[in-house]
Amino acid sequence: MGLLRDRSLIPIGLFAAAYLGIALVVQNSYYLLILTLVPIWAVMGLSWNVLSGYSGLISFGHASFFGLGAYTVTLAMVEFNITPWLGIPLGMVVGVVAAVLIGVPTFRLRGHYFALSMLAYPLALLYIFQWLGYQEVTQPMKRDNPAAFMQFHDDLRVYAVLALAMMVVVILVSLRVERSRFGMSLLAIKQNEAAAEAAGIDTLKWKMLALMLSGAIAAAAGGLYSVVQVLITPESVFGMLTSAQALIVTLFGGVGTVWGPVIGASVLIPLSEGLQAELGSKLPGIQGVVYGLAIIIIILVAPEGVFWKVRDRLVGRRGSVAAAQETVAVSSAPVGAVPHRVLPAPVGGRTILELTGVSKAFGGLKAVQDVSFAVEQGMILGIIGPNGAGKTTLFNLLNGFLKTDAGTVKFEGHDLIGLKTNRVCRLGIGRTFQVVRVFQRMTVLQNVIVGAYVAEADDARAALLACDALARVGLADHADALAGGLTNKQLRLLELARALAGQPKLLLLDETLAGLAHGEIDDLLEVIRGLRQDGITVVIIEHTMHAMVRLADRFLVLDHGRVLASGLPGDVVEDPNVVEAYLGKKWLARARH
Amino acid sequence: MLVIEALTVAYGGLTALSEVSLTVEAGQFVAIVGPNGAGKTTLFKTISGTVAPVSGRITYEGRDLLAVPPPRRAHLGIAHVPEGRQVFASLSVLENLEMGAQPAAGRANWTRNIERIFALFPVLAERRTQLAGTLSGGEQQMLAIGRGLASSPRVLLLDEPSMGLAPAVADMIFERIGEIHRDDGVTILLVEQRVAEALESCDHGYVLETGRVVLEGPHQSLLADERVKRAYLGMCRCRGRGRARAN
Amino acid sequence: MSGGEILLENFLQALTAGLMVGTIYGVMCVGLGLIFGVMRVINFAQGDFLMLGMYASLYVIGGFGLMTTLGPYWAPYVGAVLAGPVLFIGGYLLHQHLISRVTGFRALGVENEGHYAQLILTLGVSLVLQNGGLIVFGSEPQAVKTPLSARAWEIGPFVGDNVSVFLNQARGYAGLAAIVIGVALYLFISRTRLGKSLRAAADNPNAAIYMGIDVDRAHRIAFALGTAITATAGGLVATSYPFQPYVGFDFVIIMYAGVVLGGMGSILGAFWGGLTIGMVQQMSTLVLSPQLQNAAIFVIFLLIVLIRPQGLFGRSVERT
Repeated sequence: MGLLRDRSLIPIGLFAAAYLGIALVVQNSYYLLILTLVPIWAVMGLSWNVLSGYSGLISFGHASFFGLGAYTVTLAMVEFNITPWLGIPLGMVVGVVAAVLIGVPTFRLRGHYFALSMLAYPLALLYIFQWLGYQEVTQPMKRDNPAAFMQFHDDLRVYAVLALAMMVVVILVSLRVERSRFGMSLLAIKQNEAAAEAAGIDTLKWKMLALMLSGAIAAAAGGLYSVVQVLITPESVFGMLTSAQALIVTLFGGVGTVWGPVIGASVLIPLSEGLQAELGSKLPGIQGVVYGLAIIIIILVAPEGVFWKVRDRLVGRRGSVAAAQETVAVSSAPVGAVPHRVLPAPVGGRTILELTGVSKAFGGLKAVQDVSFAVEQGMILGIIGPNGAGKTTLFNLLNGFLKTDAGTVKFEGHDLIGLKTNRVCRLGIGRTFQVVRVFQRMTVLQNVIVGAYVAEADDARAALLACDALARVGLADHADALAGGLTNKQLRLLELARALAGQPKLLLLDETLAGLAHGEIDDLLEVIRGLRQDGITVVIIEHTMHAMVRLADRFLVLDHGRVLASGLPGDVVEDPNVVEAYLGKKWLARARH
Repeated sequence: MLVIEALTVAYGGLTALSEVSLTVEAGQFVAIVGPNGAGKTTLFKTISGTVAPVSGRITYEGRDLLAVPPPRRAHLGIAHVPEGRQVFASLSVLENLEMGAQPAAGRANWTRNIERIFALFPVLAERRTQLAGTLSGGEQQMLAIGRGLASSPRVLLLDEPSMGLAPAVADMIFERIGEIHRDDGVTILLVEQRVAEALESCDHGYVLETGRVVLEGPHQSLLADERVKRAYLGMCRCRGRGRARAN
Repeated sequence: MSGGEILLENFLQALTAGLMVGTIYGVMCVGLGLIFGVMRVINFAQGDFLMLGMYASLYVIGGFGLMTTLGPYWAPYVGAVLAGPVLFIGGYLLHQHLISRVTGFRALGVENEGHYAQLILTLGVSLVLQNGGLIVFGSEPQAVKTPLSARAWEIGPFVGDNVSVFLNQARGYAGLAAIVIGVALYLFISRTRLGKSLRAAADNPNAAIYMGIDVDRAHRIAFALGTAITATAGGLVATSYPFQPYVGFDFVIIMYAGVVLGGMGSILGAFWGGLTIGMVQQMSTLVLSPQLQNAAIFVIFLLIVLIRPQGLFGRSVERT
């Protein structure tokens, strides 16, 4: 990884050194407490950022992990005389376990529901800890050997140094995550979870890992907090303000960057603690008001946080995820150093995909009814039919977005029914979408790298595969462009490249030609024919008949979820049923002119 | 009545319409055809105001339409029957029609309009208390058109009324649209993928491709145009090739 | 009294208490449900609107001297109802100046349709209201006093002469008031043109614009009305529940649970959801220690969300 030689670590080193210098000089115990709290809340923010900042799943419940860490450390000491030196790692284990217990049910939810459910966990824990009788727990003083029990109340500078050390470690861990496939996968999930899953990313696995890591970090922050504060209550560690503070310092500083929580905590913690100390007796809720106003203003003025705002002002926006880009910037690498998998020359008649009696209903609507067909290796099958005929639903059944009600799907001898989408992709089925689903705020190359992970365990080699895929579709010149700024044709090519990077044997293309002009269609047809040369089998849904007849070897016509006809294009377009249902009588009349 | 000049629309860096100009005379039936993604729906959304243009002008009955706030535009006599029907699924059929009758003209002529709508689409009268979400696709399309008519519109924007419908139902919808144009004197602007049907019913047609008007003219000349025939209506040239390759 | 009779009496007691509390919860949930249903915004500050409703009621009663003019029986309920318009104005202004900047058409096309910003903005509003409340109102618990809270109706006795249910009159009248408010809202939503327009704007904002409905105005009305309804419910709760600025927490999960149970987006479902939560909460006292009551609600909430996110009473509103 070369993390130690990385130039981006210099600012972190400088910051830590400066902070250390201040902490060692300051004598005032109140200032030292603030100097300790800043890194603790920065760590808490970093923990939140690992889950919510990278993956986009907003957690309002990070107090669960913080509180469990704090109570583990405190109760271990009170009940079993275990030192916090061991208690904090123990708390991190508890945090990981809690993350799994929370994650298993909660990751089934999305958006609003996820955020709301996360809110419920710490509040439930709060009541449970009250009920268990832990209203106020104090860590006992160990006069004979304080250092062994992490008690440095005579020299508070030690706490500031410990907190700083913890923060630096967590920053390094975060950077490591950010620059690996872990971080890239989370980023892809944030921008389009379905597309990430279809590109072979095991989204549940990465989200779970992110929550586990995040839970461990938050528990560590909570553990150290309890040692510093000595006395904890359920309200102080499980309360809403704890969860809110994690989110606020990150949002204020900047989401999705390690600097965000550090900046946020450095500004907000001294501000609110200072106000609390100055005005707390007169204005008891001033701390909460400050936090509340801070996030209201931030959301209205700089919704992505101070870091990004300042950065945009200074350098202009060159890819919002430039940090990740720097390490995977391999576009200069020799293209084709890792050649893509060349599939064996098509053996005529070998069936690669076979559907038997596949059906799917939504409520009363039978979207796909008893569909059976086979696809031979190396062919291009065109699926046509009116809007609402069930074409896209069929693709969703094939790649595991939807569960079939009945029927079987065999791909090279594997049963696809019941497989998760990323497993289907892993077996060698790539797909594109009717409405383009790219990762808008990643570069073209990063988009394709995400697609390559499924084929290559090594990150650097995955990047090479991605470059190769870009070259195959002719997008190599745009590798560093942001996906959000591409033209329609380039977006279609990008999706194709992302699917190709996973080295598929079968490609499902959903209206890849939609919205393209005539010349552009020809370019895409050329690319798709090229894939067939490489031995890739293609199933394509398309409306543009004149393009379809030039491309497809066989047609399959769907209507009202059923197979209406299939066969050679020339026969299918003259089939009276097809004319009646799809093409229209007038079409045939005109075609015969 | 409706004049669009050099309209350019872009979302997220992607140009959906570039320099589109078209004119709809009062009482005309104008059709816009083109492939999926050509920008037809975007054009309608810009007229209704849910999408804002980058540049260009829209003049409706002599006034600058882009200066009118989107929700006020329906009150000027523009009824938009959106793509995919978009009926209020959780409201009853009658409530959907009531929602159509927001403009003053629609409220004033409520009784007469509702009679006319039920005469055009008798099935809506039968199902007036049913929730719109439980209707079939064809019935929802009828409701969407009825909802547009309930506002006593002067111009009706129809976005792909045949989408996802069985040919027989689509034919019936096209017939009714013809009646509305002929008998009620409503100006019609129709967007369709079914090129043959659309061009046959209209007075004047436009062909839109990747956000540009590539052809326009009275319907006979479009139907006779070689490019239209090749791209949208016929495929004589291609058929032979397809067959040859497959063998 | 036999053991069975005690059990029966406790059960009936919890049941009636659940009904009375539940109708108030139902109204509370309708407030949140209206905001969510129309705007698709989860409002974190809803619990704090409830709290503001309590204080508004208290100060309206004190400020206008309602206790002397209307007497101690009517004053608390008139106060609760008057808290509505006060908070309606508050909600209206809040939407106009803050919430509308991250919702509605401005939010369309933004990442996640701006949900991220909305959740966090309302969290900020919640923190300001709660802690600002602490500064303005102080942390001293308050109560709207009514002589009714010391009186009870006796229903019964049945089963011989042994079993009877006592219904606290303050709660009873509050429950009745909640039912009246609930019916009025139902009529408003289902019969009036404005109510139907709100539902149309909720159902399909784009199509609503095509119909000439001003969706931003519909949102503003829904937000203000949702605020007012919850605040009124707060005024009713205040007659039998001492409160301080953090009281919103005690109710916020009840509201979320009720709305989710009723099916997010279903305004009437929210009422039934709230009623059910009230029943469950009161019934849980039969088997759980009071401290675990709230934890039980969280658990139920999680179970509902996990097992049936579309709610027990609602249709699925999640669009893919």
